Amino acid sequence: MRKQTLSGVIFLGSLFFSNALLADEAFITAQNGQSLDIIDLSSMKKRLSVPIEGKPAGVAVSKNGRRAFVTSPEGRFITVVDTKTGYIEQRIPVKGGPLGVVVSNTGRRLYVTDFYDDMLVEIDLKTHKERRLAIGPKPAGLALTPDGKMLLVAARDDNQIVFVDAHRFRQVDRLQVGRHPYGVTIDDDGRRAYVANVESDTVSVIDLVSRKARATLHVESHPYGVALASERIFVSNQHSESLSVFNAKDLTPVATVKVGDYPEGICASLDGATVYVANWFSNELWAIDALSLKVRAKTATSDGPRAFGLFVGPAL
Amino acid sequence: MMCAKFFKKLVVAVMLLTPPCAAFAAHGASPLKVVEEIRVDAPIEKVWAVVDDFAHPVSTYSVERIETSGNNVPDQAERRLFLKDGVTITEVLTKRDGERFMIGVHRKTDNIQLLPAVNYTSLITLRPVDQGHSVIEWKARFYRGYPNNNPPPELNDDVAVAAVKKLIIGELAALKNYIEKLAGR
Repeated sequence: MRKQTLSGVIFLGSLFFSNALLADEAFITAQNGQSLDIIDLSSMKKRLSVPIEGKPAGVAVSKNGRRAFVTSPEGRFITVVDTKTGYIEQRIPVKGGPLGVVVSNTGRRLYVTDFYDDMLVEIDLKTHKERRLAIGPKPAGLALTPDGKMLLVAARDDNQIVFVDAHRFRQVDRLQVGRHPYGVTIDDDGRRAYVANVESDTVSVIDLVSRKARATLHVESHPYGVALASERIFVSNQHSESLSVFNAKDLTPVATVKVGDYPEGICASLDGATVYVANWFSNELWAIDALSLKVRAKTATSDGPRAFGLFVGPAL
Repeated sequence: MMCAKFFKKLVVAVMLLTPPCAAFAAHGASPLKVVEEIRVDAPIEKVWAVVDDFAHPVSTYSVERIETSGNNVPDQAERRLFLKDGVTITEVLTKRDGERFMIGVHRKTDNIQLLPAVNYTSLITLRPVDQGHSVIEWKARFYRGYPNNNPPPELNDDVAVAAVKKLIIGELAALKNYIEKLAGR
């Protein structure tokens, strides 16, 4: 008991320390430039650019910020990057071609959508053992509930969300959403999921207890991803160079924010004060204040930033 | 191995025989990009007047006739270019921004015989150089012609990029030529 309390104090202390002195970092996959840009978000300066072949697209960062995981759908592998040095620790083959990726809370397992093989793949990073589960045509984005128990996977060409028990690695449910669901985001409470339906120009709001759609948000043209920050919902609209912003409590629209050309990957800062969006056509990462909705900063990235996934992690 | 090769050939054959499919058809995981620009000896307003006229495109294709609808309104305006041999290209205006001097055009009819790329979308933006000169920037987003992994060599990423690049360089040269003639240079 005492030990727990003590480690709790140390944990809180280190949290405070990291928040007070160090900002977050962004891990931006540049699919056309074929690299992973590591950007210090306090200065909005590129710290490292790690060459990664195979048209890197999806990205996840371990909770401790030490490792970044990058999918290369055309190279058919996942690259494990030491975030401090940019050293490539591992290259893990994935049969068809990996796209979306999330990492388990402990950092031991990866969950990956195999876009070309229509599968969800679990990879144990220590043993490299794999489990595979059929999802349906063109699985794209995915998200893990904060308790690590449930995965939501977008079965893009089925227009469905697949609920997967992460431990048993079995499908527990499927839910019809809009046309071509892509990015999937789950809130910090694990109560709701948000799914960007690219071809319907909508976002499905899903109640995770009932596993039913609770509402449909109408956004601008070709929504790609969803970020949650400061009790707001931010949706990147690829064809409208914009973010649609909603109040997460009552789901009412707040504003539309103009961003760069072809916004794709979108992610909140760890403190929820800022939203970052990668603009694929204009090769920029923009930082937007989640409350004032003002553009705080912009920075150049390598060519074709996709940043598909939760691309923000803590600086070491 | 034989079987996989045969299957791929079959897929390509079916793709070539199937009529051009609807908007945003099946495509891969890796969008491709081409960005080209050209300098035009004309003021930006003159260039914009031509580029913004969605119903009357300056085209490098040998167009026999054009049908248009939707009155130059984004997401409504469409143009159908009728080429020789019964080939048609249908394009929709996705964006029109007079302040940024930008239009967006999406090709609804994928036809890998005509262009070995699918889901082809262009963003054309003008910027002034000085009072008498402008630059047209043409950015395209598309996917290779083969939607799955392990594409055949004739439908891979490099082939798609090279074909789109060639198309855009040609379209830009045609635009420059047309606009400079109009401007009497």
